[in-house]
Amino acid sequence: MKALDDSNKKAGKALIVRDLQKEYPQWRKEPTKAVDGISFSVDEGEIVGFLGPNGAGKTTTIKCICGLVEPTKGDIKIYGIDAVNDTRKAVSNTSAVLEGNRNIYWRLTTRENLEFFARLHGRSLKEAEPEIKALLKRFELQKKEDTPARKLSRGMQQKLALSCALIRGTDFLLLDEPTLGLDVKTSKEMRAFVKQLTSNGGKTILLSSHDMNVVEDVCERVIIMNEGKILANDSVNNLKDIFNVHLYDFILKGEPELSDLKNEYDITEIQYENGKTKLRVSLKKSDSFYDLVNHLQKKNIKLEEVKHLDKNMEEIFMDVIEREEVVK
Amino acid sequence: MKEHIILYSVVKKYFIELKRYFLNTLMTMIGIFILFMLVFFGLRSFEAGTETLQGSIVGFAMWIFALMAYSEMSWGLLQEARDGTLEQLYLTPSTFRRISAYRVFGSFIFQFILFITFLGIMMAVTGEYLSLNPGVVILISLTLLSVYGLGYIMGGLSLVFKKVQAGNQILQFLFILLLVLPTITDHQIIYFVPISWGNLMINKMMIDGLSLLDFTLLEYSILLVNSFAYLIVGLFIFSLMEKSAKKRGLLGHY
Repeated sequence: MKALDDSNKKAGKALIVRDLQKEYPQWRKEPTKAVDGISFSVDEGEIVGFLGPNGAGKTTTIKCICGLVEPTKGDIKIYGIDAVNDTRKAVSNTSAVLEGNRNIYWRLTTRENLEFFARLHGRSLKEAEPEIKALLKRFELQKKEDTPARKLSRGMQQKLALSCALIRGTDFLLLDEPTLGLDVKTSKEMRAFVKQLTSNGGKTILLSSHDMNVVEDVCERVIIMNEGKILANDSVNNLKDIFNVHLYDFILKGEPELSDLKNEYDITEIQYENGKTKLRVSLKKSDSFYDLVNHLQKKNIKLEEVKHLDKNMEEIFMDVIEREEVVK
Repeated sequence: MKEHIILYSVVKKYFIELKRYFLNTLMTMIGIFILFMLVFFGLRSFEAGTETLQGSIVGFAMWIFALMAYSEMSWGLLQEARDGTLEQLYLTPSTFRRISAYRVFGSFIFQFILFITFLGIMMAVTGEYLSLNPGVVILISLTLLSVYGLGYIMGGLSLVFKKVQAGNQILQFLFILLLVLPTITDHQIIYFVPISWGNLMINKMMIDGLSLLDFTLLEYSILLVNSFAYLIVGLFIFSLMEKSAKKRGLLGHY
């Protein structure tokens, strides 16, 4: 279902957040600042990861987008519709899975949940039935169609929660920890499905997760928040380039003299073992790698092996958080 | 807006849950029935007159309607918050206020079926017959609007303050007082407090056999102004509380 006419959509942008600020009032205390003037946008069909440590302001931002929390200041537009002043209209094209396997009625069966959420979004059963069948099949829930949600496994409940968000037929999806508590296999299936939603399904997704593997695997772009501010907003590859300081392990024969190397290169670790020396070097530019190899050759130091140590998303995330400044 | 589909989904869910927890539903029904019998035979043992007995049946039914209507509004909301589904009810093309009203509508249908069944049993057992004019449904519905207003106030308070069950207990006794008020006094206060005036009209219909056409325009006006005033105030306070909950980030937290 297209809940909104195309005419309501602003060219290419599913979500625009501008100068969003949220302060929670406190009784006889200074208000707590949860979100501090952040701005970002999400293109139609894009899948964006929303990262940050606990208390970074992610959930508040997501709840502001859903209209569950009233912003102190700033604009939010969903497909061009003002989500702050016209929340009902804006969220009519938004679905959310906010806390994993909650969000569904544990007393209702799998099918009853799907039918309830379809109708709750104003869809008739006749209209939603083909999608209900497709979702049951896609998530292998057909055999559990008449099982109350409370009797499903955690993974199945999570799948049902996502199905219930999808059956609303909206274009924009907010997923908060969609793989939390899932086993490896189910998590992998879920990731594959989320990716398909944007590539084949035309959905736009803002995904919040603490699982860096999920973000790295699924998202095209990552927004990293800390203390209410956005510290990084870039593609996964660009962030990797910025924070990958080209870490290498050089395995050298013997125990050569390395004092001059220490002055020229950022050597983070030296280990001597079994007549070999392991030199961990952090290079700012990839060109420096060849300079170092030439340097070793000139010094007649025999190089036995080189290992390239790539940073994963988790290490990059930690780098961004520890820098505490905006990454450009 | 396909509001009727949303109404259907909420009412259907209410009945599915009643069926799913059949034992709980059955125990609720038995509990109400026992209380009904106690009130009735209690009054009979004091050799109360036919009119008092009939009045007690109508009053008891109204009390149950009132209790369920407002507890559905406030307790139902807390249940949604506990289950983690409250946020989902805000992500609809409808409004949460309407969805709450639909749920109450579902419970009204259930209680009305219950009421008619019990009344039939009671009349057969006791031989005390009441006039069952279909028009009474209109009077009950209009009278309950004021209770829904109170329910919205309690629901709004639940959104912000979470635990308001103590207030519910106060309301239980307050409802009894309001229902018996017209039998204690004919003071004008009964025009201004909730349920009392409506209950008096329902009594006249069921006990004295009056029809809808027998009431004056003034009597209807008092009922309508009273009921809608409480409903509007209730909705207004609910909106204020909802806004406050959104400002303080309290929606969905229990």
